[in-house]
Amino acid sequence: MKGRVFLIGDNIDTDVIAPAGYLHLGIPALRDHVLEAVRPDFHTLVRPGDIIVAGKNFGYGSSREQAPAVLKDIGISLILARSFARIFFRNSINIGLPLGIIKDLNSVKDGDIVDYDIESGKLYDDSGNIIALFAGPTGPLSEILAEGGMVNFIKMKLGIK
Amino acid sequence: MSDHPKTMAEKILSRASGKSSIAGDYVWAVPDLVYLNDLMGPVALSVIRKIGIGKINYGGKLIFIVDHIYPPKDVSSANNIKIIREYAEENNFVFIQGGEGIEHTVLIEKKLIRPGDLAVGTDSHTVTLGAVGCMGVGMGITDVSAIMALGKNWFLVPESIQIDLIGRLRKYVSGKDIILSVLKILKEDGANYMSMEFHGEAIRHLSIDQRMAIANMTVEAGAKAGMIEPDELVGRFFDIDEEDLKNVRSDEGSHFAQRVDIDLDSIGPQIAVPYSPANVHDVKEYVGVRVDQVYIGNCANGTITDLREAAEVLRNRTVAKGVKLIIVPGSRDIYRQALKEGLIDVFLDAGAVISPPNCGACAGLHMGVLGDGETAISNTNRNFKGRMGSPESRVYLANTYVAAAAALDGRIIDPEASL
Repeated sequence: MKGRVFLIGDNIDTDVIAPAGYLHLGIPALRDHVLEAVRPDFHTLVRPGDIIVAGKNFGYGSSREQAPAVLKDIGISLILARSFARIFFRNSINIGLPLGIIKDLNSVKDGDIVDYDIESGKLYDDSGNIIALFAGPTGPLSEILAEGGMVNFIKMKLGIK
Repeated sequence: MSDHPKTMAEKILSRASGKSSIAGDYVWAVPDLVYLNDLMGPVALSVIRKIGIGKINYGGKLIFIVDHIYPPKDVSSANNIKIIREYAEENNFVFIQGGEGIEHTVLIEKKLIRPGDLAVGTDSHTVTLGAVGCMGVGMGITDVSAIMALGKNWFLVPESIQIDLIGRLRKYVSGKDIILSVLKILKEDGANYMSMEFHGEAIRHLSIDQRMAIANMTVEAGAKAGMIEPDELVGRFFDIDEEDLKNVRSDEGSHFAQRVDIDLDSIGPQIAVPYSPANVHDVKEYVGVRVDQVYIGNCANGTITDLREAAEVLRNRTVAKGVKLIIVPGSRDIYRQALKEGLIDVFLDAGAVISPPNCGACAGLHMGVLGDGETAISNTNRNFKGRMGSPESRVYLANTYVAAAAALDGRIIDPEASL
């Protein structure tokens, strides 16, 4: 997968990702406001396959699953961070948005075009050099992701077609 | 009771999973209670439909409660309430219409949870239930739908942090300042995926309202749950005897990953400044900051204790010209009690507007949303960028005395120095 990097700081909270004032209107209404308080141009720049590279405690704050859901909906296909807030982590896996915990990171700049492999946990620059290592989801989490999220996972478990 | 001394979180998840477990274990557990609000309930029901199961396999108590946008502000919010109401009625689940109060407040007030319970809510401030020793865990809608579909969900038994409270609070210092002092130490992620357990001789001097303020903001350090060791006061509230309470409290010799000591005598009024609830300082460092709005009351601090504190500050005084003072009793019963005690008159005389119980502007939903460049001080729990409205607005968080006092002159004052 290839995509553009959006570089973002520490403690990015779910109110910033998905402002509460639009939650009752559903995901389409959130698209134009995702991350607007810290990156007003984000929703116009993001394309399918892009990734977010963040600092620590990404997804801090509320339990709203709309936060990872709108990021996935708008095209984000992987979030790498030093760490994730607990509820955001569960929510992302549940909706089928892969996350990776950064283990080793060389210079990555906002706007870089990168290539990545979630299974091996490697991020490559445009010339194919490894620029970051990350721990992707393993065990049951990768099983849930392989089904595309918790809904399909439950259907599989309950034998619902 | 067991082979291995256990923390409160270990005990509760052991019981709810039917398997003796310690921190680090993954368990499948059945919560005693699951509750959904009007903002998340309709989305959870759409997930249930996507899964395609006809009936709910969850055998515990299931409650739908309206509090986030009530009375509804537009067609979408009215439809959201209609969706969960019809579903609850068709399936014989408890439905609590808006106006009764804010979900976590109502659950404690109406004793719908008990010490030692495992409760899951579609709201991160579910941790508030820890005020009475209930393990309240916030989850997303798919996780809650999974509980409804499977009857259970997976939990990682968390490590616990012990927070030891000693001493007595000074005048103008409250439970809010205790948790802000803890956040000053642990920061935004110091308790990520952990349980915070409050112990110490100081607890018996704290009312349940004060304890709610403490438990409510444990999630601001990332905590999965935040529980205050239930004591005699909680025992009396729920009519539970000491022997049963002991089974809820952590065992002697249980393992804590970290210990934090807070001496209540040493703390003054605290303030969390933009843009993080863990960006905590002494109020006296921010004296003079101008405010456009004062907002009192949410699931952290909308209790009768808070309203009494606000009235104490506002009695025979008036709000500065142009300043918006919005007061939100946390529940219908709290509202009624405030009326009986004459507190509502005090607020009206001061120039406040009284909101029905709801989540209101705390999360920028309605009834007090901030405009571009506006500054608010609030006794609520979050001050993220844009949390209460415009991304260009700013929110300061403090105890109720400090928030109410700022309305008098339109500037932050230190009540210890100026009241």
